[in-house]
Amino acid sequence: MTAGAVFLRAAAHAGYYGMMTQLFGAQVRGGESASLVQVSTTPIETQPDCYDLFVALDWDKVEQFAAEIPLDGNSIILADPAEGPVPAGIAKSKGCVIALAMNDPNDNKLARALRGKRVNMFAAGAVCALTGIGGDDVKAAIDNIFEGKGADLIAANAAGATLGAQAAPALALDLRLDPPQKAARWLINGNQAVAFGALRGGVRFVGCYPITPATDLVEWLAPHLIKLGGRLVLGEDELASVNMTLGASYGGTPAMTVTSGPGFSLMIETLGLAVAAEIPFVLVDVMRAGPSTGIASKTEQSDINLAVYGGHGDAPRIVLAPVSVADCVNTGEYAVYVAESLQTPVIVLSDQALGQATTVIDPSSDRPAPLKRRVNGIAPGKPFKRYATGGEPVTPMPLPGTPHLEWVAEGLTHNEAGLPASGAAMHVAQIEKRAKKIRQFEPGEHWGEVWGEGDVAIIAIGSTIGPAREAAARLAASGQKVRVIALRVLSPLPLAALARALAGVRRIVVIEQNHGAQLYHYLLGHKAIPPGAESVARPGPAPFRPSEIASYVV
Amino acid sequence: MTDTVVAATEQPHCVFDAKDFSSGAHPVWCPGCGDYGVLASLERALAKQGRPPHEVVLVSGIGCSSRLPGYMSTYGFHGVHGRALPVATGLKLTRPDLEVIAVGGDGDGYSIGGNHFIHACRRNVDMLYLVMDNRVYGMTKGQPSPTTEADWDSDIAPGGIGLRPFNPLAVAVASGANYVARGFSGDPNGLADLIVDAIRWPGFAFIEVLSPCVTFRPEQREWKKMVRPSAISIERDRAAATALVLADDGFSMGVLYRGDRASVAPALKPEITVADVEREFMVAV
Repeated sequence: MTAGAVFLRAAAHAGYYGMMTQLFGAQVRGGESASLVQVSTTPIETQPDCYDLFVALDWDKVEQFAAEIPLDGNSIILADPAEGPVPAGIAKSKGCVIALAMNDPNDNKLARALRGKRVNMFAAGAVCALTGIGGDDVKAAIDNIFEGKGADLIAANAAGATLGAQAAPALALDLRLDPPQKAARWLINGNQAVAFGALRGGVRFVGCYPITPATDLVEWLAPHLIKLGGRLVLGEDELASVNMTLGASYGGTPAMTVTSGPGFSLMIETLGLAVAAEIPFVLVDVMRAGPSTGIASKTEQSDINLAVYGGHGDAPRIVLAPVSVADCVNTGEYAVYVAESLQTPVIVLSDQALGQATTVIDPSSDRPAPLKRRVNGIAPGKPFKRYATGGEPVTPMPLPGTPHLEWVAEGLTHNEAGLPASGAAMHVAQIEKRAKKIRQFEPGEHWGEVWGEGDVAIIAIGSTIGPAREAAARLAASGQKVRVIALRVLSPLPLAALARALAGVRRIVVIEQNHGAQLYHYLLGHKAIPPGAESVARPGPAPFRPSEIASYVV
Repeated sequence: MTDTVVAATEQPHCVFDAKDFSSGAHPVWCPGCGDYGVLASLERALAKQGRPPHEVVLVSGIGCSSRLPGYMSTYGFHGVHGRALPVATGLKLTRPDLEVIAVGGDGDGYSIGGNHFIHACRRNVDMLYLVMDNRVYGMTKGQPSPTTEADWDSDIAPGGIGLRPFNPLAVAVASGANYVARGFSGDPNGLADLIVDAIRWPGFAFIEVLSPCVTFRPEQREWKKMVRPSAISIERDRAAATALVLADDGFSMGVLYRGDRASVAPALKPEITVADVEREFMVAV
């Protein structure tokens, strides 16, 4: 893990773009793991078809990862002969195995306990040297990653990396990268990006409950939110977390909860309450493989139905899906503005592959225009009609503490004053009021993104957009023009914008990472795509590879 | 958006009458329901406490007694079943200037919301939780709740549910509530005094109110003959308070325990800006 982090950060210091994802075994702590790192002179938004270099620090249980670490005959496998023979699951890739002694023959248990396995830094140093990343950049990365751990540890790790760099030339491999366009960039993962966007949007309360792969989002967020004067509360369960979030929001503080599929399922009842009582909040779902507990640490896009439809009754809501790690920042910020301005829940549908991909990106700019909650502008009169119908559907929501405008947030069907009412006319009027808010929502340019042109269109969301774009680029290079359409606003479906994006298209392929083709059927149901549109839907956790998409579309 | 928050004043500054806290809406409760007495007590207590209606928020879940916020002139939040305490917690932590009171029934608070009850006691956020306990689910027409006697006969549990009743006061003391009391809806003045005392006591205050259901538990009309002031009230000693509430027959009224746990510390003043956070992502070249 640390070896990959050092390589990625050193590459960023050197001016490269990059992306790192991680694989873990089932153990609670320690045990086998793998870092998958890509570096490039251009932004990276997809996992590759194949890795050029595989460095085996040890072979323990590595074969469980074989399907997720694609290698081929052009791949180079660096391994320490002391760790034993190459396991069959890796050797079958026919990659070129090169021996490199990485372990320190004089290393002992005590030394390892004191400063970690030298082999990690040795490998990082060797890989940096092979790719042409200089020692200063490696040192800068080590200084950053081990900051606060003491000069001795930093020196020991730096020495390990130097030994690795010194061993690299003897391998006589040429893996040098093209020189980069140097610029100051951000090193950020998708979970941090959503959290940062939410902070930028004004979120100052977070209610949450631990759940993989969303926990690291709130772990990153907690100290920052607290120092910004906000509150993060660890609820006793997801029901508590989401209801605390609503309570904070009712008081006027932009609020968010963060979860993954199982927790999202538990929060659905309160999502309906927020719709009915018109309380804004942001719900971030970092999707993982389901159903039930599924695979906690691995990705899937199978909560689309839950996000768009989940819950009883007519409960329209806004669902946004970031189109890249970089876009997680702006979509996170935009989600807060939409929730606040429409007084309604906004779901941010991220996924593990975005959330836990650490990337080097250009700094986020071009922020969404701020939107605020309507709390003022109330006509006098008693009783105060918090849920007035017939006019603008977004009605003023005075903050508690405001004299003479007391109101009750109400989850029962209610009249305009917020008192429970069970008559048909008011039920219909309030449902229509809330539906109208969603119907009138105009995301403008935020609706989605279109890249490329051509009469074949791929429609994708979240982490499948990156491989789709790479597939389209390869097809374009071979003369077949393909456009990629990414939906940022999933609900309500931006039908007009999508129709414009699809103008002139003769073939549509909807790509998504779930078995039931949830996105495809949702689009079909709204007649956003014609019956002849094609569906490529398969479960996670294996990421879509550009070649997989290209070979289907071609 | 926090700049638009109207900070409520901290000190009593007006003289109020109980009717200033009534919304005038007609309750759904049955004639003779104990909850009328609780509503009257709350109105009196808030008038006595002296903060205006707009600085008070009543938070509730679902059930007969959870309808109460609609009958008062304060701000209110009538949420989903069992979740009043988390809503109140999120609100109070972000708006400490408000008087936050969670109310509800025994099914809402001890069954579906039981986990929140335990953890609200642990958190010790400065607010009042008032449970109107009638030992039955009334709104769904008479099913046994966690506090129902084991042998109480009902359609859904013929011959009795056969379970030992939940002891909310013992759980509150054991879980860290800073103020634990029992009141009776038939004594609105006594209950109003208890509510004022509980509001003013720092930390999480819990009042269990015996509030008869005359429709499904008409035998509870006898409660007025059974209640009596508690002979003792324990300060700080949680073990002694536990012994007291475990030995009690459930009809001792008044303050049973007052602790000295510090409540949750206020949020920090901002020490950094969002721009400072942004700089952490930057990798210089």
